Amino acid sequence: MQAPVKNRTLDREGSVANLVDRLTEVQLPGTDLPPIPASGSKPVLEVRDLRKSFRSGFLKRRIRGLEGVSFSVNQGSVFALIGHNGAGKTTTINCILDLVHADGGEVSIMGMDHRDPASRSRIGYLPERPYFFDHLTGVELLQFYARLLGIPKGRRAGRIDEVLKMVGMTGFGSRRLKKFSKGMLQRIGLAQAVLGEPDLLILDEPMSGLDPIGRREIRELLMGFKRAGTTIILSSHIVPDVEMIADTVGILKDGCLVDVRDLTELNHGFSYTGDLELSSADHAWLPPGCRSLEEGKVRVRVESVGELRNLLNNCHREGIPVASLATHRSSLEELFMEINRENPLGREVAR
Amino acid sequence: MTSNIITLAASTFLETVRDRIFYLVAVFGFIMLASTAILSPLTVGAQGKIMADVGLASMVIFGLLVVVFVGSSMVRKELDKGTIVSILSKPVGRREYLIGKFLGLNLTLVSMLAIMGLLFLLMLFLAPGSFSFRYLGAFYLTFLELTLINAVVVFFSTSVSPILAAVFTLGVFTVGHLSSSIRDFGQLQGGVFQKQVSELVYYLTPNLEVFNLRGLVVHGTAVSVDHLVMATVYSLGWSVLLLVVAGSIFSRKELRGE
Repeated sequence: MQAPVKNRTLDREGSVANLVDRLTEVQLPGTDLPPIPASGSKPVLEVRDLRKSFRSGFLKRRIRGLEGVSFSVNQGSVFALIGHNGAGKTTTINCILDLVHADGGEVSIMGMDHRDPASRSRIGYLPERPYFFDHLTGVELLQFYARLLGIPKGRRAGRIDEVLKMVGMTGFGSRRLKKFSKGMLQRIGLAQAVLGEPDLLILDEPMSGLDPIGRREIRELLMGFKRAGTTIILSSHIVPDVEMIADTVGILKDGCLVDVRDLTELNHGFSYTGDLELSSADHAWLPPGCRSLEEGKVRVRVESVGELRNLLNNCHREGIPVASLATHRSSLEELFMEINRENPLGREVAR
Repeated sequence: MTSNIITLAASTFLETVRDRIFYLVAVFGFIMLASTAILSPLTVGAQGKIMADVGLASMVIFGLLVVVFVGSSMVRKELDKGTIVSILSKPVGRREYLIGKFLGLNLTLVSMLAIMGLLFLLMLFLAPGSFSFRYLGAFYLTFLELTLINAVVVFFSTSVSPILAAVFTLGVFTVGHLSSSIRDFGQLQGGVFQKQVSELVYYLTPNLEVFNLRGLVVHGTAVSVDHLVMATVYSLGWSVLLLVVAGSIFSRKELRGE
């Protein structure tokens, strides 16, 4: 079972020998994580070397939007694009949907070229700021999209009732959209996105602008779609939400996809920090990067259970007391911050 | 493809029907028609002609206002608000979208002309000796003219702001009615440059006088079937050409989804 804490002192008072013994007994965080969710090997979306630039300003200077973005999303998995504002998340999605035309690269949706409108028949899309015809009621809007999706007339009403129930909007279908709150618009946006029972759901900042309750509700809905096996691509800069939903994450920075990580693997990445009471840091077995704290104490950081076991064995052998030992999980947020540390505000590339 | 166009046209029609500006202009149209009934008693012996003249002219003017002011902002409004993004993320082509919008506005136009036309005929029916079915030809020509103008406004709305689209469309409407006169004026002036410019204006703008047989109809001449066929081909030809070019521009347009 995954440990719910980021930092946990295992044994502040116990002896080193006890600690070493307990290492074989205690399930340390990261050693018993759930298996990586099984996802089909069939790629639903393949993006290769996607490039996009925009012209801006009076002199029409070229601004980089995307540069050589490549990734693929397998059936049944949840892929999240994260990045600072202007990193290129929305541009990537817009290019996939051919709402903006890429300068170069290839996008294949279930084997079809993304420029072919038919490739979008199996896609559900929720824009960043969902805005729909406000002269229509919720049901009228869904009927409109149902017709565009080619849902047979006989099935439309039933399917609309289903999706309204799914997003918790039963009873609001006859209300005009102009009277909808932001949260309700987000829900109706999600309803239109899942209306055609899509194989691929693309959600651009699905939780932005929502209050904590709204965020939680949308997150639970997405978890439901995930459990049902829907392939999802979502963009967000709310990292904790992404951590909860996504299987894989792509980190965009200044229009470049700088890292793609399997989140399950990332969650395995625990490190351990120990405060050892040493007379000096001059021990050959100490890992590099030890930091002296105060008189007679050294902070050691090791990255794996094996390294920790060696460290504690050495302390035990030489009779060095361990003042404290803490586990520390490498979170996605830390990775994200690390990647963006060079330029914390990011460069406004394009949205 | 066809079903998408019908869906989009129906949605556009519904939008214009629920649009208060549309109602306002329609009400003005009705007021104008009603005012002919008030003005006509002042014209001894030509009551029916005056009613028909003012009625047909106001049908063109109010139809034009609806087409220009609704049409010029129709596409831009969806681009600005972002409604277009969720439509084009469905299996809908951009040309389909544009044609749907065009046909939706034309459906509004037909509905509006039909209501105004019925009112017009009713008023003529009430004036002794004025009623005639020859006015149907004039209605149809008005519809063809406004269909062409609708294509013009859709063409401009894909590439410039709503205000400019409205101004350019009104410019085309004005020049379209004066193009023959402009060419004749250029020929009479004699200068090579003036001749060339007037020729260019004549051939680059639709000749809207083709649809303006209102004066003849009011004075008792029926529009010939040949002329109606020729006007239909002329209007459709220009409309298709403009929509093809507009579709080409719109297909290249960046919809940034913001």
